[in-house]
Order: sequence, then C-alpha cells, then structure tokens
Amino acid sequence: MAVVSTTTTTVAPHAVLDHIHPEPTSFVRRYIFSIDHKVIGIQYMITGLLFFVLAGLLAELIRIQLLHNDARFMSPEVYNGVYTMHGSAMVWMVIIPLVTGGFGNFVMPLQIGARDVAFPWLNLASFWMFPIAGVLLFGAFLVGAPDAGWTEYPPVSLQGPVGTNYWCVAIFLIGISSTLTGINFIVTILKMRAPGMTLTRMPLFVWAQLSTAALSMIATTALAAALLALFLERVFGIPFYDPTKGGSPILWQHMFWFYSHPAVYIMILPAFGIISEVLPTFARKPIFGYKMIAFSSVAIALVGFMVWAHHMFTSGLAPWLQLPFMILTMIVAIPTGIKIFSWMATLWGGSIELTPAMLFAIGFLITFTFGGITGVFLAAIPVDLHAHGTYFVVGHFHYVLYGGSVFGIFAGLYYWWPKITGRMMNERVGLWHFWLTFISFNCTFLPMHWLGLQGMPRRVATYLDSHDAVFWNQVASISSFVLAASTLLLFGNMAWSFYKGKRAGANPWGARTLEWMISSPPPYYNYKRVPAVLATPYDFGNPLPYIGLDSPEGTLPTPQLTAPPAPAPR
Amino acid sequence: MSVSVAKQGHVRGAAGNSLVHDEVIYQETRDMRLLGFALFLVSDVVLFSAFIFAYLYLRNTVDTWPPVVDGKQLPRLDVAFAAVNSCVLFGSGVTMHTALENWKHGKKAAFNIWIWATIVLGTLFLCGQGYEYAHAQIGGWSGSIFGASFFTLTGMHGFHVLVGVIYLIVLFLQTRKGVYDETHYFGLTAGTLYWHFVDVIWVALFFLFYLF
Repeated sequence: MAVVSTTTTTVAPHAVLDHIHPEPTSFVRRYIFSIDHKVIGIQYMITGLLFFVLAGLLAELIRIQLLHNDARFMSPEVYNGVYTMHGSAMVWMVIIPLVTGGFGNFVMPLQIGARDVAFPWLNLASFWMFPIAGVLLFGAFLVGAPDAGWTEYPPVSLQGPVGTNYWCVAIFLIGISSTLTGINFIVTILKMRAPGMTLTRMPLFVWAQLSTAALSMIATTALAAALLALFLERVFGIPFYDPTKGGSPILWQHMFWFYSHPAVYIMILPAFGIISEVLPTFARKPIFGYKMIAFSSVAIALVGFMVWAHHMFTSGLAPWLQLPFMILTMIVAIPTGIKIFSWMATLWGGSIELTPAMLFAIGFLITFTFGGITGVFLAAIPVDLHAHGTYFVVGHFHYVLYGGSVFGIFAGLYYWWPKITGRMMNERVGLWHFWLTFISFNCTFLPMHWLGLQGMPRRVATYLDSHDAVFWNQVASISSFVLAASTLLLFGNMAWSFYKGKRAGANPWGARTLEWMISSPPPYYNYKRVPAVLATPYDFGNPLPYIGLDSPEGTLPTPQLTAPPAPAPR
Repeated sequence: MSVSVAKQGHVRGAAGNSLVHDEVIYQETRDMRLLGFALFLVSDVVLFSAFIFAYLYLRNTVDTWPPVVDGKQLPRLDVAFAAVNSCVLFGSGVTMHTALENWKHGKKAAFNIWIWATIVLGTLFLCGQGYEYAHAQIGGWSGSIFGASFFTLTGMHGFHVLVGVIYLIVLFLQTRKGVYDETHYFGLTAGTLYWHFVDVIWVALFFLFYLF
C-alpha cells in the first residue's frame, strides 16, 4: 500500500481552505443546519440524551408497575405500550444514534486526521431524519402506542393500534439515516485518512466504527424491507405475515432478526472502540493485541450476520437449522473473548488512574462480560427453550446493552467531554455517578436472572404472587430509581462543567490519538496541516508518532512527548 | 489505496525527512463519490434481496405455485409479453452505455440521442409494466401471497426505474447547463451505474417470477 505520496504537487493559489469551505457565521447554519461533523456529532448527542431521558422515564414506569403484582398502576394495555416504546426508543433513538452518529461523528474524523466526513451534506440529512423519527415514534402515544414489544411480531403487531404505523415509519426513517451514516463513514475511513495512517495504524475506535458502518449499511435495508411489508399489510392489507391470508409470521421474525441481531453489534462495537481508547490511556500502557482487537471487531461483524435465528429457537425452526445457528452464536464468544482478554492484559501492570471514564470502562468489562456469558447460556438450545421470553433474557440483554453500550457511552462522555467542550467535568461527582450507577445497575438487573429462571415472563403487566417474586421485583424497582437518580449526577455535572468547569487544554489525559493533538474544542477545520502518521497511537513511553502537527501553541516540527513515560517494568 | 483527499496535499516526502503537509483541500473526489454510490447500490441490493427472500419463503410455504386461493388455481404470468418488455429494458442498458461512451469522447450530439433513447425505452418499459399490471390475472395486490410478492417487488423495481428516468432527464438538463465536461462527469457515471443496477435487478426478478 502506498502510504505517503512522494510527489510534490503545487497547490493552486485559489485553493485556500477558507475559500472553499468557509465557517458559516449565521446561527442557523452554524448550529442548526451545520455540515460540520463536530456540530452534527454534538447534535446527535444532545438529541440522543434527550430521548435517553424519555425512554428512561418509560423504564421507571415499568418498574413502578412491577413494585406490586396487582397491575394497578397501569392497565395491561398501557403497560404493553410503555415497554414497547421503551425498547424501541432505547435501541433506535438512544444507543444507535449516540454510538454511531454521536461519538462516530465527533471523534472518528478527528482520529483519522480528516477535516470532515466524506459527504458533509449527507451527514446533515442523516442527522435531521433522527429527531423527526423520534418525534414520530413518541407521537405514537397520542394515537395509541404500538404494543407488541419492540420486536413487533405479527400477528399481534397487525392488530395493534394506529401508533404501530407511526412506529413503522419512524424506524424506517431512522434506518435510512443509519444506512446513509454507514456509507458516509466507510468512505470517510477508507478514503480520508491522514498520510501514513495505514489501516493497522488506525485508532481502535475507528476500527470499531468501520465494522459498525458496514453492519448498518448492509443490515438496515433488510429491516426497511420488513417494515415496508408490515406497513403495507397494516394499511393496505397486502398479505405477507397474516397466516389467515397465506402469509407467515415467521417470515417477519427472519427479516426482523436479520437486521436486529447485527443491530446488537451496531450498538456494542462502538462501545468496544471507546473502551479500547480509554483503557490504554488511563493504564499508561500500549493496548495489548492491537491487531487482534481490530480484526475481532471485523470477525464479530461477519459472524453477526449468520446468527439471527438464535432468537427463534422456540418459533418452530427446523431442527437441522437450529444446530448451526447455536454453534455460530457460540462462536461469537471467541472474538469477544479475545477482546476481553486483551483489555485485561492492557490493564495488567499498568499505572492505572481511576478517573470516571476509566471506572466506567472497567465496570464495562465486568458487566459486559457477565452479560456475554449469559448470552452463551441462551445460545444453547436446551437452555433457551426454557429461558426464552423470561426475565432471564431481560436481565441478559440489559447487561450487554446497559452494562455494555450505555456504560461505554458514559465512559466516552467522560473521556471526550474535555475535547468537546474544552472544560473538565467534576471528578468527584463523576466517581459518585459511577459507583451509584454500578451498584444500582447490578441490583436492578441481577435479580431478573433468577426471577426469569423461576418462570417470570417478560412483557406481562403482573407476576406470580409469591414472596420471592415480590421481594426481588421490589429490589429491582427501588434500585432502578437509584439508577435513574444517579444519571442526574451526570447531567448535573455536564451542565456545571459547561459553565464552570476547569479549562481542559488540548490533552488533559495525556492521550496519544490524533484528536488530542489539537486544541479543545477543536478549530473549525480540525487540522490546519494534516499530520503524517508513523505508527499506531498506543505506544506509551515513546515519542508521538506524528509529524507536522498543528498544535495549539503552534506547529510542532518534531515529535513531542506529551504523555508521561510508562512506569518501569516490575 | 488510491488517492485520497488527505494525500493530495503538498508533501515533502521520502527524500527529505519532514513529511509536512502545507495545504490540504477539503473536497469530495471522484473515487469517494464512486465508492459512496457503490455502497448505496449495495444497500439497495439488500433491500431487494430481503423482499426476494420473503417471496421465496412464502412460495415455499405452499404446495403448488402459483398458489391456490379460495379453491381456485391462480394462472402463471404471461412470459412472452414480459420477455419483450425485458428486452426493452435491457436495450436501454445498451443505449445508456453508448451515451456515456459518447460523452467521454466529446460527442455531445450523439450523447443527446442515446440518453433520450434510454429515457424513451425506460418509459416504454414502465408502460409495458402498467399494461401487465392491468392484465395480470393473479387476484390483485392484496389477493394472495403471489400478488403481494409480485406487485411489491416489481412495483419497487418500477419505482426505481421511474426514479432512474427522472434522474436521466435531470442529468440531460445538467449537461445542457454545462455542469459536466469530458473529464468531470461523475453524475453521468452514477446515472449509468444506477441504470445498469436497475437492469440487473430486473434479470433476477424476471427469472424468479416468470421462468422459475
């Protein structure tokens, strides 16, 4: 691969940066309809966090309902709508937009030394589909919320209220947004890296975004097809899924999970990327197994396409089909295990600094691994036949989605907040946030595992009147209130820091990826001069592998040692 | 990897030791757009593939195809007419290719003829499709899984052809306004790629609905 072009090209005199792509001055063009990837990334974050609050409140409604088993807080019909909307909003309006649109947009172009994404206008369009989709989705409450669960299995979804149509359109829209973002990111990463940044010199977050972009670009249109068919069937009576007209409900399950299983990886791979940035920075050590972490992301993305039917073991899938899906699902644990062990080896012997970002990364290692292991349980057909549709599954996926993706989002917020705003968050409040979140998270979702194994079904507005079930549900509910309250600490911290926080400077953590080499917040053009890259970014203790950096103090002609040296080996 | 934006800058390279980039311009290059457009087509292929999967899946759930609806055996589709109509569409692929080749060689008059030939053939195909819709005796869109899969898939394809025809007209107007020249004609490349993509999808649909 030709890394650095050696020909000297003369730049035409009119081709001055500001002439081609000047920074807009009007408020609307600068903050509302901006084409700057950093502004769009922040827009994604704000919108995503707003929906996070709404979807989180829905979760609290669920937990209030389950404080008692007499179904008196909400009627079962309302309850069905609430958990459906909670799941749909968390997946499509919170986690996916935050990890791809939010962090991907803000961080990825900075990390590869690019000035923007490949297609800034497309990026603008992708973003604006997101709030529209979110408003449509929550608007469903006004006309009767969809009530068949976030998976909307027919025939129940065919009989659902009008809001189900809103749901279809909203998810279709966010799907298009996600596809376009995927295309945009792939082209950006493949075509716009700084000179010398070969694929294996990219930061691991960029690898994660590349794998994720491929998944969202390919899988999401399959969901679009499934949604289009559901919409056509609901509105025009076109028979795809209704068995009384010759359709097949199982067809929906195939089409839905062909997208929605890869969607699990769309939600977790960027979080893997965030963890891979945070751990070496705060352990002051090169990341262990760079290439294995990078390639295992790709492996997860590839295998992720071939495991969807493990959601359907109880749906009457042919037995000869079940076995390969079980084996392939268990195979996913191998690349994931490679990552977990590499991260642990990164921590090993490091000089660990327990900042909030690092704590969330370590918390991620614990909770995500736990959720991953229960995932292997569920992949085993005999266990799944027993545990399918119980709270065991609910516990499992909250460990990977909250203990994985959301912890990753928290880690990323603490880590990149100084870069985004130029100010530091309060560390002590951050520590409180972590410990409250970590403890209440486990108290909320751990009891669900044994509740599920005892047979408590998910998506039911009440449960068995036994002392045990009532006790553990109350533990989960009360912990979930603490969990919600602990998140307020984060929001308070963000608001405080935005006005009063200490100035961060370019590189408060002593990190080594490219985004920390420019001022915080980064200038409109990111890099006045695009640096050349000589090595992977994680070699703590060595000089920085960049030449021609445009530092806040002026251009650095030679590599500088901005990070403290690595501790001496013991 | 080929030329990228970041690499177009001023590089004092291997000879000297300072790899300093003086000015790098932000712009979308042709190969970025081409890759982006190709990826868009890939995701569109997945959209069709998902519906084709649905069609094959539903087809597999019944004993006979076309299915029996309310005790009545639905007829097969008319292959002869569809074959002629297919030739119209495939022919338009040839004319579009010719149009692009003429543009590359600066033959504007020939380009105008061939792109209009493509637009006319595409419109003819759509009319043929409309005729076929009016005369298909398979119980309508909502009548059975046959109607559902046939009308949805070919309808989606028809919609793509319609978008293509409109896009080609826009491209023609753009060439009149002087948007493209002999070396910069990405829009025309994209239009041609899109048109071939629509052709290829039709090959699959023709096989699956009429011959299979």
